[in-house]
Amino acid sequence: MSAPVLAKPQLRGLLAKCLQFYIITAFILSLGCATMYNFGVAEPRKKAYQNFYRRYGAVKDFEEMNQAGVFQYGKP
Amino acid sequence: MPYPMQLGFQDATSPIMEELTYFHDHTLMIVFLISSLVLYVIILMLTTKLTHTSTMDAQEVETIWTILPAVILVLIALPSLRILYMMDEIYNPYLTVKAMGHQWYWSYEYTDYEDLTFDSYMVPTQDLSPGQFPLLEVDNRLVLPMELPIRMLISSEDVLHAWTVPSLGLKADAIPGRLNQATLTSTRPGVYYGQCSEICGSNHSFMPIVLEMTTLKYFEKWSSMMQS
Repeated sequence: MSAPVLAKPQLRGLLAKCLQFYIITAFILSLGCATMYNFGVAEPRKKAYQNFYRRYGAVKDFEEMNQAGVFQYGKP
Repeated sequence: MPYPMQLGFQDATSPIMEELTYFHDHTLMIVFLISSLVLYVIILMLTTKLTHTSTMDAQEVETIWTILPAVILVLIALPSLRILYMMDEIYNPYLTVKAMGHQWYWSYEYTDYEDLTFDSYMVPTQDLSPGQFPLLEVDNRLVLPMELPIRMLISSEDVLHAWTVPSLGLKADAIPGRLNQATLTSTRPGVYYGQCSEICGSNHSFMPIVLEMTTLKYFEKWSSMMQS
């Protein structure tokens, strides 16, 4: 009578098998972090500066600050 | 100017500082990319169920982690050099102002047309008016016209100092016997603060710099008033 035979377990290539999944996850994670920072912080900051200067009037801003007494010698 | 719990740079007041802010965003993005990758690898190493820890042949991964950092460094270096050369462009300045460091105050000289020289001492905390900022205000501010390139020549009469205005992206050492040049262009009017950035003795923290960027008309009236 022969005993039932178990399937041979995988003995080699265990790390390589895991790495297939881990490498893809690592790429997605790291590129995802970079993309989130780029589109969450960097691009909005550039847009904010562009929008600010699109309609900015420096002389008008100066007059308002002068009236408010920001400058040392007041209204000249 | 700085505010409590601030994390990033002050708002940029010059085109160069804007470029530096964007470059910092670019570099920090790369830092987060690398840090998240390394953190993930550490977590994997700490939670693995695999037990074989002897040295293994790893030619492929060695190649990757030699080439990839070199590529990343090039991606950082190219924008950095671009801004570095941009900062050294000569823009035909309209005005030249000398900033001389002393222990422990700054003196400013406008000598293009007439001789105008004055000292700029910190206002002691007990003498501040309501609304003024401690350790940042001075008795005589450096008044300059906005939206025009200005050459700053920075030096020192005694020990090393450094003339700094963070929102304009300016920092230059004040070295006795040497003139350091910085070009200043402000896109907005206002009052901008900085502090001495090179240790220079007991009152190193008490010699601030205050710039008033104004219209050309106000600047001309101010300089006539200062000379009279």
